Amino acid sequence: MKNYGEKYGHFEMNQISGQWRRWLAPIIILIVALSIPAMGSALWLKVFTSVAIYTITALGISLLYRRLGQVSLAHVALMGCGGWVTLRLSHAFHLPFEFQLFAGGVFTAIVGMVLAYPALRMRGLYLALVTLMAAGGFSILIGIIQFPNGGDGFAGYAITAITHMERPYLAQSDEAFFVYCIMIAVLAYALVYAHEHAKPGRAWALIRRSEASAMAAGINVTFYKVWGFALSGFLAGIAGGLLAGSLQFLDARSFPVGESVMIFALTVVGGAWHWFGAIIAALLFRLMPALLNDWGVSGDAAFIFFGAALMHALATAPKGIAGQIAGLASRLMKSGDRHD
Amino acid sequence: MKKIAVYSASLVGAFMMMTGGAMAAPSCGLSNGQKANGEPIKVGAIVGQTGPDDFSSSGDAAQAFFKCINANGGVNGRPIEFTMEDDQWNPEVAAQVGNKLVKDVGVVALVGSGSFVDMAVNAKLYADEGVMSMAGACAISDCYESSNIVTAAGGPLISSVGAAQWAVAHQGAKNIVCVTTNIPTSGIYGCSWMQKFMENKGLEASIIPLDPASADMNSAVLETIASGADTVLVNMPGGMAAAFLKVAEEQDLRDNFKWISSTPLYDADIPAALGKYWTGVLTVNAELNPIDGTGPDTTNWRAIMETYANEGDPRDTFSQAGYLAAKYFVEAVLKLDPADINRASVTKAIQAISGKTSDMMCGPYYVGLADRHLPNHANIMMQLVDGGFKQVSECTQVDTEYLAPYLAIEKEMGISN
Repeated sequence: MKNYGEKYGHFEMNQISGQWRRWLAPIIILIVALSIPAMGSALWLKVFTSVAIYTITALGISLLYRRLGQVSLAHVALMGCGGWVTLRLSHAFHLPFEFQLFAGGVFTAIVGMVLAYPALRMRGLYLALVTLMAAGGFSILIGIIQFPNGGDGFAGYAITAITHMERPYLAQSDEAFFVYCIMIAVLAYALVYAHEHAKPGRAWALIRRSEASAMAAGINVTFYKVWGFALSGFLAGIAGGLLAGSLQFLDARSFPVGESVMIFALTVVGGAWHWFGAIIAALLFRLMPALLNDWGVSGDAAFIFFGAALMHALATAPKGIAGQIAGLASRLMKSGDRHD
Repeated sequence: MKKIAVYSASLVGAFMMMTGGAMAAPSCGLSNGQKANGEPIKVGAIVGQTGPDDFSSSGDAAQAFFKCINANGGVNGRPIEFTMEDDQWNPEVAAQVGNKLVKDVGVVALVGSGSFVDMAVNAKLYADEGVMSMAGACAISDCYESSNIVTAAGGPLISSVGAAQWAVAHQGAKNIVCVTTNIPTSGIYGCSWMQKFMENKGLEASIIPLDPASADMNSAVLETIASGADTVLVNMPGGMAAAFLKVAEEQDLRDNFKWISSTPLYDADIPAALGKYWTGVLTVNAELNPIDGTGPDTTNWRAIMETYANEGDPRDTFSQAGYLAAKYFVEAVLKLDPADINRASVTKAIQAISGKTSDMMCGPYYVGLADRHLPNHANIMMQLVDGGFKQVSECTQVDTEYLAPYLAIEKEMGISN
């Protein structure tokens, strides 16, 4: 089992020799991220808050894709599920934000498990279509029930101006909330890392290689597939709750089907096989349109770039931009070692 | 020879009168013809330009007005640096550009915004940061229920109820179906209060909500037919509304219903876009007075648009509202010491605006210190005729319970009894 884990289960950064090198890049990225509020730009702080949130979503998508070979085109809709529960609890009970966030994540994990049911029988295109239909269903449903805005009843929605939800006690300002999102993203990475380096990771690796082999090895394929979807859904739910906290409300128009497709495509472009691929995907998803908008170019122009990037990734960089960066870094380090 | 000279002089005179009548010289601010060169005053606007429909005409008009101001002495020598941002109908983007304008650029106010998301997303930001938004096209309830947002337009509720009120009084409407966007604080907000108005009269009403991102007009028309209504109220952005009417035309439904609409269809380009089919049939509510009016503000608005705006910028009610917002903003800041124009002083000056009258509006425009603002709650109806519109009703106060808190505020301010 351990060999499978080493070959398919560990992040590519394991290729870099030395324990210190293993943690160097994450620490640098974390330091850079935490220094963003010091830039003093409210616009880019908002944009990078979205980047941090969608990194968590992309992390869940890449987990499914990398470990189980499953394509989910419903993750932005899953974010909506988590966001709905977080908002509803906030307006109804005014509980601590962390509790609401966790509840939103758990609810979405359950939704993810329900989504996993067809995944037990389908793969590839057919599963992708099922998840796409689920995203479409969510879009219609949320258009009817709407996101809670401080109203009464089960839906908690009223046709009136929005009552903004409360943010975490420790993160009232935009700067503090950004740091809060970064910390949650770090915890999300830790959760995925812990799974991948434990029994579930080894089981997923074997399932991806061959379900028959996995069953022959005594792995409960059904359980681990469902568990993978639940974990991925949990992460999307957490991200949805954070998005609700960032805007202090949610709007049904933030969760169109196209967004779910787009973030999956960008996760592939960013590189689902590398730990920082999710960060690249989120940067492409939220930073790129914001840059274009700030430069006076229509944000829609980003779609042209994304299409070209996806074709490039599928044709020449199957491990995405992250794979190319990791390959380049690896070559540079080897070259440096030779010179030493 | 003398005869020819007289004829020539008469022709030139007549030509000058004609051109003068068609387009008077724009007038704005100090109107001294001198370019303003002082330290710029930063003003912003957020519009929904890219998305399901272009909703930027109020921002375009404000921009044109500020160009006129900058070419005519500015605000006592200080030009206005106008930054218009596109929220793309996306709440996340609206939050980003709102923070950019208020915190990064440091605008003293927002003037001429037109959006379906900005006001909901940023109302709290504007209140927290003490900045006023004198919006143009306010399509959502948050615009009328926030302390720091005010507009000259009446909004989807006032416009929808106004249209229904006219249809009941003049066309004998007994059952109205409202075809609208599924945006709760916009389309549903307007149509549900129209529904209450009908119910209060012992009449019937229903709502057909459409997703603006993927509006299926064929389904909407089929639902309209199935609704059993005698009157159709189209309450959508102009582009969507025109698309809906095109499908209804294909089904030749003109004579099956009475047709009314809220303000977005009141646009100089709409008669040509819809064609003759709807002539004499479609009646549109206008939140402001006719765009081809001859009053001083309407004439000046057209002249400013002609001189300072792009040819393709719409000439519609929202453009008028953007013009009024910009005009009243400039009038307020012109009273300030040019060296003491900052966010706090500008907010105070805007809040002090009271009793402004215009040929564009049925009633006075005011701001005041209140938790909500809705100065414009009377409107007119315009019927589509060959190549244009004709006014079919005089200014009428809108009859809705929604106005109760606003009327109480007006009473407190001494504006009404």
